Amino acid sequence: MAREDAIEVEGAVVEALPHALYRVALANGHRVLAHWKGKARRNPVPLEPGDRVKLEMSPFDLSKGGIVWNEKEI
Amino acid sequence: MIILKNERDLEAMRPACAIAGSVLDEVAAWIKPGVTTKEVDSFAASRIKHYGAKSAFLGYRKYPCQICISANDQVVHGLAGARRLEFGDIVSLDIGVVYNGFIGDTARTVAVGGCSVIAQRLMDVTEKSLQEGIAQAVSGNRVVDISRAIQNYVEGNGFSVVREFVGHGVGRSMHEEPQVPNFVDKKDEKKSEKLRPGMTLAIEPMVNTGLPGVKILNDGWTVVTQDGSLSAHFEHTVLITESEPEILTWPARMPSKLKAQ
Repeated sequence: MAREDAIEVEGAVVEALPHALYRVALANGHRVLAHWKGKARRNPVPLEPGDRVKLEMSPFDLSKGGIVWNEKEI
Repeated sequence: MIILKNERDLEAMRPACAIAGSVLDEVAAWIKPGVTTKEVDSFAASRIKHYGAKSAFLGYRKYPCQICISANDQVVHGLAGARRLEFGDIVSLDIGVVYNGFIGDTARTVAVGGCSVIAQRLMDVTEKSLQEGIAQAVSGNRVVDISRAIQNYVEGNGFSVVREFVGHGVGRSMHEEPQVPNFVDKKDEKKSEKLRPGMTLAIEPMVNTGLPGVKILNDGWTVVTQDGSLSAHFEHTVLITESEPEILTWPARMPSKLKAQ
């Protein structure tokens, strides 16, 4: 089964939303809804506005992305 | 994080891949004009069950069928249904099974009874591009070497490679790192992962006769070409070794005790 070509982008948290969701501003100015991705989903770290993150996004839905890296957990 | 399989893992993974290859062979041989895709899916399910394995696709991100059946302009992830396959169609069968906790993933496009010259050429070029990609799956090379070989061969024959879907690492889970695109992406080139023994990759060129653009139908799964052109899909699960790559989903690799079942 083919896998969607995940595009990795960098951004910064703008706003923390309920249920461990975040509004993230990307380098290209777009704001997307970010959720935790993969194993991080089980114990998400609370992020604050300004924290840098990397998102994995689907080419078919550029309105949301999965957080695969964040500044706090280096 | 790329997961390397040790000898014990491979002992468990080899039969899973061999079963996937055998089921694919049997389903491909069984297809004939007039069967519905639902009947194909059920036949595949019976063969998977026969070997004591389970479909790796059913339930994966809520995928509702046992295998993927994608005809003509459908690229991948085609859902089984009432559609009746007709003479002249080309249909891609993508089989994923779980056995011993490991996954085997393989695909092939076949003609239903017969097909047009261009469709046959598309299948031949896609299959050969898979072999070209596998030839690069050598320790010391990088993932981008596989991608480049596939893309060059396909585009050299006047066809195009799909961009939105890619190959992938596979093992205990369906989609592991790394991604294995069928094209060279400028920014990937520099940080393309090195191939090391113990890596198991699902290499799977998806090739269109027309433009590379695809879209997903509103059933949420079936991927089709944007311009309605034909598409073919070939896939093997391949082990990187110290020397030649080992095609794990080659049907002939079926251990005799499983075959006798």
